Amino acid sequence: MAQRDADIRVSGLRKTFTVPEREAGLRASLRSLVRRTHRDVHAVAEVSFEIPAGEVVGFLGPNGAGKTTTLKMLSGLLHPTSGQVSVLGHVPWRRERDYLRRMTLVMGNRNQLQWDIPALDSFEMNRAIYRIPDSDFRTIRDEMVELLEIGDLVRKPVRNLSLGERMKAEIAAALLHRPQVLFLDEPTIGLDVTMQKRIRAFLAEYNRRYGATVLLTSHYMADVQALCRRVIVIDHGSILYDGSLRELSARYAPHQTINVTLTDPGPELSGYGELVSTEAGRVSLKVAKDQTSAVAARLLAAYEVSDLTIEDPPVEDVIEQVFASSATTVEVSS
Amino acid sequence: MGRRMGLAWTFLRVGALNELQYRVNFFLSLVQSVVAVGTALVVLALVFSHTDSLGGWSSDELLVIMGVYVLMGGLIRSVIQPNMQQLMEDVQEGTLDYVLTKPEDAQLLVSVRRFGLWQAVDIVVGLLLVAVALVRIGDPVSVWSVLAFVLTLILGGLDIYCFWLILTTSAFVVVRVDFLIELFDGMYQAGRWPVTIYPGWLRIGFTFLVPLAFAVTVPASALTGRLSGWLLLGAAAFTVGLLVLTRWVWRQGLRRYAGASA
Repeated sequence: MAQRDADIRVSGLRKTFTVPEREAGLRASLRSLVRRTHRDVHAVAEVSFEIPAGEVVGFLGPNGAGKTTTLKMLSGLLHPTSGQVSVLGHVPWRRERDYLRRMTLVMGNRNQLQWDIPALDSFEMNRAIYRIPDSDFRTIRDEMVELLEIGDLVRKPVRNLSLGERMKAEIAAALLHRPQVLFLDEPTIGLDVTMQKRIRAFLAEYNRRYGATVLLTSHYMADVQALCRRVIVIDHGSILYDGSLRELSARYAPHQTINVTLTDPGPELSGYGELVSTEAGRVSLKVAKDQTSAVAARLLAAYEVSDLTIEDPPVEDVIEQVFASSATTVEVSS
Repeated sequence: MGRRMGLAWTFLRVGALNELQYRVNFFLSLVQSVVAVGTALVVLALVFSHTDSLGGWSSDELLVIMGVYVLMGGLIRSVIQPNMQQLMEDVQEGTLDYVLTKPEDAQLLVSVRRFGLWQAVDIVVGLLLVAVALVRIGDPVSVWSVLAFVLTLILGGLDIYCFWLILTTSAFVVVRVDFLIELFDGMYQAGRWPVTIYPGWLRIGFTFLVPLAFAVTVPASALTGRLSGWLLLGAAAFTVGLLVLTRWVWRQGLRRYAGASA
């Protein structure tokens, strides 16, 4: 098999939309009929990154940060205003069949399965579109059906499925041609926790089995933590952070939380760190990361401790911290 | 080409198999069809209680036109309209993205995805009407005129398809185009009469803008000895030109959708 180095290369990618602009009110509406004013919106402003083959990368950012626009350019749906993209050696927006046959796009809030017919029939249509040989098709389909546990569901009309069931069928349909590159835009949106876990486990398994490269956006940090070692954080169309999830915590969350429960509650512990909360004898202290082990040791030496844990702050908080800090300093990291 | 036909066939088969589950729809379509044809026959009888011919067409010849009109209507409602409606929805909801990420020609995909099996009842009813009319006329129908009829029918169907796709492609620019369906239905009504009865400007409109003449009058002409070789050639040339134009408009629409035209 040929060496696959970077599957996705993006450099200097920009997308500017020109949108009509008008103020609220009847008068402004009428005026805009005659003379339209336009405004440039920089949905993606200078984005560069590379993703090696087989890596799962989380693409994070608030709504309107430019995630979906970037994914659309990578999957060939949008022409960029400027910049270069190469995915599997192809320029996506040329929409070459060779490329389209090796990638897939899943959007959690939009379905591609036909509403009135069973998913199995939509699978059949995809078989015809992707020209999947019959024997391969049966093997892959059965594998997807088994991994996603949708054996009984694929025979029912899609409209009779629950949101989670439908999403599983959607994912199966999107992977029948066994793509090497997956663009997943909020694949678990609106699903309950159990279903999110299932889909997460499935994606991890797909990545492990076929070495697929995955670029995933999600608002659920649990998705990102479970699947991605690397994250790219984007806001206002620019990359704020690109690196490991662990490093992100280290850099943007210099604190950890020590939760301690004393056998004899009562002593004032605020001298050990910033007091966050005291609940039923359990005291939470915010402590600088490089101090945590020393503080913990001091606590253990000074008191009779019945329980002590050290926690990293939730990733949500860390990400929030990234956005907050970007408001003051614009930092592009490698 | 063969593979594309295969793809269209897969879609047709899947669509038909699924519609088979909803047999009530078959009876609904049948009733609808019978009522429509009944009303039309009454109108036809009324007209011919006052006159012997309309624009040079006898009553039985007009029955041929009506048969073709019903047949073509069935073709439109079972194949063209469902696909175009789906395309409009896809543009509105953003699900066209899924079509565009498929390794297949997007125009082909949006044109063959849907098939309304029961609406095709009208195709059979239309053929029956044509057969009845031909028996009443009593002239022998040559193999050639049947072939010419089939050919002009295909050309006419393609013309209507092109007309629809051009209209629907405007959905890329103006997102709400639902009214187009009603607009087209209204105009298609005019096709139940030979285009020759309409005044000049309207006749030109129904020939080249809304290609009713090519869709209904020309195939009916093929069965009633009115079709010259030149007219057939003209219809073919018109269709080819329209197909090329449609392709161009479609590509422009896609460029706009992808933001490549700006």
